[in-house]
Amino acid sequence: MQRWNLYSQGDKFFAIVVSILIGMFTVATLYPFIYIAAVSFSSGFAAQAGKVVLTPIDATLEAYGYIISDPKFWISYRNTFIYTIGGTIMSLLFIIPGAYALSRPQLKGRRFFNLFIAFTMWFNAGLIPFFLNMRDLNLLDSMFGIILAFAVNAFNIILLRNFFEAIPQSFEEAARMDGANDFQVLWKVFVPLSKPAIATITLFCIVSRWNGFFWAMVLLQSEDKIPLQVFLRHTIATLSDDDEFAIVQTAAGFSAETVTAAIIVCSIIPVLIVYPFIQKYFEKGILLGGVKE
Amino acid sequence: MSGVNLSGIVKAYGALQVVHGIDLDVQEKEFVVLVGPSGCGKSTTLRMIAGLEEITSGDLIIDGRRINRVAPKDRDVAMVFQNYALYPHLNVADNMAFGLRIRRMPKAEIKTTIDDVAEILGLTPYLDRRPADLSGGQRQRVAMGRAIVRHPKVFLFDEPLSNLDAKLRTQMRAEIKRLHNRLGVTSIYVTHDQVEAMTLADRIVVMNDGNIEQVGTPMELFNNPANTFVASFLGSPPMNQMKGTMTATGATVGDAEILIDGASAANAGRDVIVGIRPEHVTLTAQGPSSALPISLDLVEPLGSEALLHARHGDNAMVFKADTNGDISHLSGVGEVHVPSHLVKLFDAETGQALTLGA
Repeated sequence: MQRWNLYSQGDKFFAIVVSILIGMFTVATLYPFIYIAAVSFSSGFAAQAGKVVLTPIDATLEAYGYIISDPKFWISYRNTFIYTIGGTIMSLLFIIPGAYALSRPQLKGRRFFNLFIAFTMWFNAGLIPFFLNMRDLNLLDSMFGIILAFAVNAFNIILLRNFFEAIPQSFEEAARMDGANDFQVLWKVFVPLSKPAIATITLFCIVSRWNGFFWAMVLLQSEDKIPLQVFLRHTIATLSDDDEFAIVQTAAGFSAETVTAAIIVCSIIPVLIVYPFIQKYFEKGILLGGVKE
Repeated sequence: MSGVNLSGIVKAYGALQVVHGIDLDVQEKEFVVLVGPSGCGKSTTLRMIAGLEEITSGDLIIDGRRINRVAPKDRDVAMVFQNYALYPHLNVADNMAFGLRIRRMPKAEIKTTIDDVAEILGLTPYLDRRPADLSGGQRQRVAMGRAIVRHPKVFLFDEPLSNLDAKLRTQMRAEIKRLHNRLGVTSIYVTHDQVEAMTLADRIVVMNDGNIEQVGTPMELFNNPANTFVASFLGSPPMNQMKGTMTATGATVGDAEILIDGASAANAGRDVIVGIRPEHVTLTAQGPSSALPISLDLVEPLGSEALLHARHGDNAMVFKADTNGDISHLSGVGEVHVPSHLVKLFDAETGQALTLGA
């Protein structure tokens, strides 16, 4: 019996090229993680000598022992959780109703508001005006200021608005006929139907908040308010020049490099843990069966 | 009284007017079907009644109350959508309970209501299923259940069967009719399917281009169409329409003369359109009739009957004939007989029905 070859030579070549490119991309993406993890578990001497490539050399937990004994590490860790959880909740509280309103054809001035929001994606006030604005609002060195100031993100609003716009209008009409008001249409129909989009935005918010460094560095002065990323920067900047630390590290078997790597590993772990929990919401075909296409 | 009254209802989108001041009075417990081709304004009219479209001008009165500016939720009407519009994240019971929960009905009462309606619609085994796990017919029943549980004053149906296959459509059509007979709720039903209109309606409203062409019972519209549009819209296949000229005894069509009851010398010479229903002709003369010579193009067997596609001069026409289990005798048909009392006449210019001898 003749077997049909469904793939031409060109298709096979294309598949090979794509596989090679994806492989290279995967290695390029994964290697920094592997390297940092390997350094964090290596001895200070090995790390300083540049011997660590793929696996830990002279494996030790000394670097981790050093950072977990530092109360500032735990304070910054707690702060990062506060900024991430508080900031993400605040963002969703602004983004979901905002995107819903912008997605409704009956919103008066809808084009203007959409343009206005999109405008902020390309242009913003810049560092100094923003800093002055925060100062005038009395939000400098304020944890609430950090949570509030970055609650609204134009890209996320547009992303969710587009998702809302793609939901068949008859769902809203059916809910209105059932007696729902705007708020109920949003929370009882649109939000459950938009779980994948909201999960995506939640993840964006979490990652962005968790990694938030620059504005926290600019706006926060008190050490008990800084997040992990700023603490990491302080660590990198100070440990290398710290003579006392140099003496301790020599005795203890860790170095500025391994301590920095250990902090980075600690900062990555929570995001890695969160992702699988959010992933279940990226379900396909959530609208399936609701309307006849 | 839960009647629906439309008076001078106009719908315009900017300068574009799509519904041109229609008047309609739907009686309590009546089943009225709005029928017409795509874009005729029937769905827009239904959506205006539902409150999903603003009324540009005119009065909409339900239960004696003008409700032009009343929100959909406060009109006490329920709607079944063409595409079901079931909430995909909720199971059947929750879909039906959605509106009741929003109206803060007590839980126990909700359960009783859902169980009762599920029983009526045969949905009891599926209450825990989500819409994606149901067949098309079951989904449509859920959509109807969602409307029924609210005990509204008026049901609105927007082409609810158009997404179902032919067999299921026939079943569901009968279910809707039975349901209406049982519940007796005033119903307005939109469809472009004239079979649905004929079978379901107490009265049919034929719409065209934003206007009402005719309102009447199915048989009134079938037997006495007000114009050529209604004549061509109702009936399957539609009424054959041929240009002709009146004579003292009937009308000439091509080179044949068709006898028509009520024709007189007074109308002779008038240009008309002669209408003959496909099912009204016979293959042999039966009673007062006239022979219409035809050249047969095609015979389409449908089982108990067949469609004869034929021509007379420039006029293409379709007739129905009984097969009696065999179509071989139909291939040689050279003429059909047109009963003189069943011929319809329309004005050649306006298309309006003509009444002879009045």
